[in-house]
Amino acid sequence: MVTQYGIKYAVNLITAHFGDLVAKVCECLLRRGPLTLQAIVRSTELTSSQVKNSLLVLIQHNCVQAFILDQTGEHGDGAKQSTQYIALFDNIIQRWRFPKFLTMVSKKLDKQCVELLEGLLQHGRLTLKQMFDRAKSGQNEGDDVVQEAFVKLLNAHFIERCPASEPVLTNPTKEEEAARKRAAKSGKILEVQETLEQRVVEAAMPTEALRFLFATETEPTADGGKDKSNSSSVTLGEKRKHDAIESKAESGATDEQVVLWRANIDEFIRHLRHKACIENVRARFDDGAVIVFGAMLEATRSAEKKVKTENSVPLSLSSIYEEVIKSEEGRNITFDRVRASLVQLSCPPFVKAANESYSVDFKKIIELAQHEEVESIVLKRYGRDAYRMFRLLSNSGHLLETDKVADATFVEKKETPIILYKLWKDDYLQLEKLQIGVKQTPFQLWKVNKSTLKVHVLDEMFHAAFNLSQRVAFELEQEKELSNVLQDKRVNRLRKRLLLESSQMKLDDAIMLFHDF
Amino acid sequence: MNAKRKRPDTISDSVTEQERIVHEVIQSKQDMGISQQDIKREINLHSNLIAKCIKSLVSKNLIKEVKNIHSRRQKHYMSAEFEPSNEITGGAWYVEGSLDKEYINVLKEQCWRKIYGLKVATLEGIADAIKRSNVSQIELSKQQVEEIVKALVLDNEVMEVRSTGTGEFASIPVGKACYKCAGKRGYGGEPKLGALASIPCGVCPQISRCTPDGMISPITCEYYKKWLEF
Repeated sequence: MVTQYGIKYAVNLITAHFGDLVAKVCECLLRRGPLTLQAIVRSTELTSSQVKNSLLVLIQHNCVQAFILDQTGEHGDGAKQSTQYIALFDNIIQRWRFPKFLTMVSKKLDKQCVELLEGLLQHGRLTLKQMFDRAKSGQNEGDDVVQEAFVKLLNAHFIERCPASEPVLTNPTKEEEAARKRAAKSGKILEVQETLEQRVVEAAMPTEALRFLFATETEPTADGGKDKSNSSSVTLGEKRKHDAIESKAESGATDEQVVLWRANIDEFIRHLRHKACIENVRARFDDGAVIVFGAMLEATRSAEKKVKTENSVPLSLSSIYEEVIKSEEGRNITFDRVRASLVQLSCPPFVKAANESYSVDFKKIIELAQHEEVESIVLKRYGRDAYRMFRLLSNSGHLLETDKVADATFVEKKETPIILYKLWKDDYLQLEKLQIGVKQTPFQLWKVNKSTLKVHVLDEMFHAAFNLSQRVAFELEQEKELSNVLQDKRVNRLRKRLLLESSQMKLDDAIMLFHDF
Repeated sequence: MNAKRKRPDTISDSVTEQERIVHEVIQSKQDMGISQQDIKREINLHSNLIAKCIKSLVSKNLIKEVKNIHSRRQKHYMSAEFEPSNEITGGAWYVEGSLDKEYINVLKEQCWRKIYGLKVATLEGIADAIKRSNVSQIELSKQQVEEIVKALVLDNEVMEVRSTGTGEFASIPVGKACYKCAGKRGYGGEPKLGALASIPCGVCPQISRCTPDGMISPITCEYYKKWLEF
């Protein structure tokens, strides 16, 4: 979802990291959608060379993707192919989260892995040789240490091969368009239509088999993966391996030299999504339930096909128990306690049971967390009566008349419309009027439209995140100007910055909840 | 003057013709009653004359003044033989035309405590528990208990769940609605503060007018200034 303040926030990030020129090109693409080079030049009034250099920087850092749109003519005449550039909003806003990704790797892996990842995040994409060179010039570490860290990161899927530079995207055929329109008319529920950004990213991505493949001329590196899908070593058949090595030998290139690698943002977001779900469980249930829930996520993470998966892969009770007792905190948990925790976790239904298997309902957990976030805003901004009214309308899911709202929430009939109007004026509610009879005052019916509200709240969050970053920049400037002031004022300034930065972190978690999860 | 108590549906000779007309209009509205303004709309008499008739009818105990929660400023009148309907009194939760918030809050806390004690409770269970422990004379109908419990759900103090028939729901038929205390906090605690709500922008009434270079901006914001000066 790209909202108005989402764009401002993204452009602010790019400006901070790459300067005004690159940000101007990026903003042009974010506001106007995919464009050719010539169109960007015309729109930004920059020189062709400035636009090209900016695009190179943005592509290097995975913020823009080039693609070719194959526009076959209607009457079967020659296909038109033009290279266009699309801003990857989802990737741009991840840039703020790099410190969170590094912290994650420092907890799960080792210092060398953190340093390697840091290089990839700083430079956007690197070949293995570039990683070796960087390590030598910096930490003075040998190639084998770097390669070991590389393989660890690859096995954990924290890094991946870079996407294709200019994938070809075809427009949907007439038959596909017609089928989509028919299904929409008949009211059948369709999968959410992919945005163009999603289609381009998907078209550019290497196949799943290739994405985490590390092929060298030597014997495969140690496979630390748990299962086949986790293996980063050569899994090609012998003949194919032989062919691949031969062709590289002919071109004189190895993976080290030609294959570009980058951080796999999807995997980091998946980990953060799981972490958020665990925190939600911790707020409602006891420690035993938290351990069981965490074990279920650990056991099924590698089987998740996409980040925004709605349910985890089903597990039997005994599989869950085996996973629970692997961890230190779960070692003393009994089989019966695991079963009891699973019953606990079914109310609210964070875990679903079917045919003696259990799966995590991510969609439910995230929806509940989103509702709580919005309700918290309503409570703080408009008060307790409004909070009750909002929850009533949100839970009922349909239109309710003013007096019904007053009765159910125990608010005076005269005060109720005043509160409802305030919520409606700020786009938290929808209002419909129903006229019965000519002389009678129309009935007022109220409703929460969850999908439009989610977009509205997300935009407010981006606005708040943008404001926080502006204020942090302002406080930093003040600090520089007052560098010679008394110690206690400097301590005060430091406290302000800490408060602002911790608020930024917390708000970013909420943005992920509404946008990335 | 006739000393006998007048039958409600007859008008004595002491009532004037205009008073009779006004009384008939009021009587026709039965337990809904009518305001002076609406009487004027129905019959073509001067306001002063209507007011005089109303005063006389009240003094003769033929009509009475009642509270209407929909229009608390205007006086509302009803023929003496009727009792005001719930629609104008507001029902059991209204006293003298106003919501009895203190009474409602006491009942809410009582219901919550019963649910907390029972761990999982049906509406019947809660109603029984209140009846058994209730030291006052107040009797709550099942509908009233339901209204209070549903208000607790809206306050996020209690959650509604469906019985699975097993475990803690063992004594409750499968599928029946029951109630549990929500979360780990006690009664009346605030729900967890969200990320946006914990910063000035989240509660700011001017957020839609705030821009980086505008009169209202994060740099000049008074709410930010107060928040940072802790």
